[in-house]
Parts: sequence; structure tokens; C-alpha cells
Amino acid sequence: MKRSLLLAVLLSALPISLAAENRAHQQGTIVRMRMTDCMAAQHPLMQALSGSNRGPSGELCPEYVLVTDKVVYVIIGKTSDQLVPLAETTRFHFQNNEILIRVDDSRRESRFHVKAMMLRPEWDRHEQIEEAEATAAEHHHLEGAVMVDAHQ
Amino acid sequence: MARTSSFLPRPTVLLSLWGVLVFAASAQTAGIPSDMTLRSDVAEVRVTFSATDRNNRVVATVQPADFAIVDRDRVVRDFRSFNRSEYTHMDVVVLVDASGSITRQFRQELSHVVQLIAGTQGMPGESFSIVSFRDQKPAMVCDGNCHELFPQAKVPVIASGGSTPLYDSIVFASRMLRRRSDLHTRKILILFSDGGDNISLKSFTEAMNSAVDNDVAIYSVDVSSQPHASPDTLVLRSFALNTGGRYFPIEAGTGKVLEAILEDFRATYTVAYKLPSRAAGFHQVRILPTHDLGLQFHCRHGYYYPSHTEN
Repeated sequence: MKRSLLLAVLLSALPISLAAENRAHQQGTIVRMRMTDCMAAQHPLMQALSGSNRGPSGELCPEYVLVTDKVVYVIIGKTSDQLVPLAETTRFHFQNNEILIRVDDSRRESRFHVKAMMLRPEWDRHEQIEEAEATAAEHHHLEGAVMVDAHQ
Repeated sequence: MARTSSFLPRPTVLLSLWGVLVFAASAQTAGIPSDMTLRSDVAEVRVTFSATDRNNRVVATVQPADFAIVDRDRVVRDFRSFNRSEYTHMDVVVLVDASGSITRQFRQELSHVVQLIAGTQGMPGESFSIVSFRDQKPAMVCDGNCHELFPQAKVPVIASGGSTPLYDSIVFASRMLRRRSDLHTRKILILFSDGGDNISLKSFTEAMNSAVDNDVAIYSVDVSSQPHASPDTLVLRSFALNTGGRYFPIEAGTGKVLEAILEDFRATYTVAYKLPSRAAGFHQVRILPTHDLGLQFHCRHGYYYPSHTEN
């Protein structure tokens, strides 16, 4: 009897603890921001099937790259004026596959679609490659300039 | 065969683009062994801006922690320098649409502008010009010496009617301001217009580029009767937004315009940061708040970073 009671208590507590975990705030840093086409309000599957993620009105929404210790999220707002402060640290949590960010002076939290996710090491590697390519291109240019100078 | 270590010191390349300065320097250290090459490559972007609060009042206490810069989608929070701008002079051109949309109120406001500029003690070392435009091209009413020509703040008679070369006139005025100003002079264009254009050879984009490239801030005064319902209003708003100026409907009164110009002049900042991306092409620049979303930052909207072949 005691065991089944304990089990019942544990089972009933599980959703609460999961919800609490879901509500637990994480923190990250926004490293990129741009205005891009708003994602349609329809279900992601329907959106994928329709082959378009363009908002119906052609409106532009803010898109952020949010970097955490382990994961990098690309999130996108639902309206054009859904801006978040670009502080060093952004605190957020998940709810129903969305990321919620509380803006300091706002009563409500701001909801963002998660457009893409990437593991942090993968993101870092991608960034390093991009940077190396840019540096190589620059050095290639400088080498060319050096040779021109030397020949002069 | 030429040795790479023997190359000549390369000159510093100074690019002053769209009101944002990009400094790119390639340098070599002298006195190093002949089989070694040391290179240092530094690029810096400088942006001049002003800030207003949610009540559209100028903020004179901006700190580096109050904002971040988004340069071609990359967020920059580490700045190399931040200080008040070193403007010591002001060059003001009033650009007047004389194409037929002039109303009585417009004439009164123009008179008020002349009166305010002529009478103000707050514009240090200012030069003041009036250019009108209608039909084929803009016409100079007075060039830098409007104080002397109109000491009683009398509005000069400006012929009206005809077509509207707005974009050509903005290009004309921007180049004029650039020609006679230096880095310490804030270049101001007060534009009285309804935003319409029907004859210019230049496009909207060319006019915008000319203003930004020549570091001219446009303060648009919308003289149309229905400023909020007109697509032309968007043109005026866009000129103001993208050049670091501001937009006003004529009902706001020209006193507000002058007040804003003076406030911006006194509370303008310059921030410098390391070029975050060497991607060639246009770098859009936005300044966004880090904590107070009520803050709005006004700056030019970007610069061109040249491709390697253009350097």
C-alpha cells in the first residue's frame, strides 16, 4: 500500500518536475541579429510541405543567433517589433518548442520560434572555418600587393 | 626573384564611406631579418550617432554599456573607443520644395526657420544656405551667407510651381555640403518637401547614397496635408532614418526641428570597433540597446567594405 502510494506521488510529481525543468532559465549570448522574412504562423510540418517559410505579409522579423555553452539556437520573432536587448547575457527558457525571453521592462515574455539548432562545437568549427577563409583571402590579397610592390 | 620581405611600406588606406569610417592599414615592421615577414593588418569602423528616449528627447548620458552595434548581422559589444563627437561647426542647408505644393503654413514655417537660424546663438560657427528646387534643377537662393543677406529674417521670394526634382536636389545639396566642410563640421540638410519627385535624373537610392556618403544628416519636414497616409511620407522618413536625421510633420513646428538639430549637435557620440567581418560589399549598421528598449539610436545605415581588388 505504502509502495503504491509512494509510486503515485512520484508519478504525479514527475510532470511538475519536468515542467519546472522546462521553466528553468538558461542563459546565452546573442551574437548575430538580422531582419528576415517572418515565419508563417502555420504548423511547421504544413509549412515544410508547402515549401515556403515566408510570412504572408512579406513582413520582416528579427532573427537572432543565441549561443549557449552547449547549443546554438537560431530563433526568430513573430512580429517586426519583437526586439530583445542585446545585453551580454540573455536569459531564456523553453515552452512548447518555443524560446521565451523576458525583456526587462515588459510584463510578458517574448516568444520566439526556434528556426535551427546546432551543437556548440559544430558552430565553433563553422565559425573558425569562415574566419580562416576570410583571413586567407585577405592574405592572398596582401601577397599580391607585396609582389606588385616588389616588382615596382 | 623578388623577396617578400623587401616590400615597401604601404600607405594607410583611409576610407570615409557613408558616414562610417573604415580604417584599414597594412604595415610592416622595419629592421626584421630578411627571411622573415611580419604583417599587421588592422581595420576599424567608426560610427557617429545620437540617441533619444521613448519621449523623443535627446539622451546626453549614453555609455558604452547602453548599446551594441549590429554590423552586417554580427553583434559587437567590445569597442575600441567611445567619446563625444568632435564637431565644432555646423553647416546648414535648407532645401525647399518650390514645386507648387507650397501652402501658406509652409511659407510661415520657412520664415520661422530663417528667423530661428538667424537669431539663434546656439549654432557655433554655422554656415547657412537656402536652396530651392522646381522644374529641372535646384537653384541657390543664398550660399553660406543667408545671415548677411536676410538680416531681418525676411524669407526670400522663391518662385513656385512646376515639377519636382527632389532626388537631384538632395544629391546637389549633399555634394555642396561635402565640398565646403571638414570632419569637424556637422552637415545638416533641412528638407521642406512632401516627398514627391517626378522629374529627377537620379533615383531615390542615388539620393540616399549621396547623403550618406557625404555624411549629411537629413531633417525632413513633411509639408504634405496628410503626412501619415502618403507613400511619399515614407520617402521623407527613410531619408531621415537612414542618414541619422529626424522626421517631422510640419504641424510639429520648425522650432522643434531646430531644437532637435541643436540637441543632436551637442549630444553626438563616436564609437570605434574592430571590423567584425571582411565580407566585401555593403555592411548595414544598426545600433541597438542592451537593456532599455526605449532608447533609439540614430546613425547612418552602413558603409561599403571594398572587395580585395578595390583596395
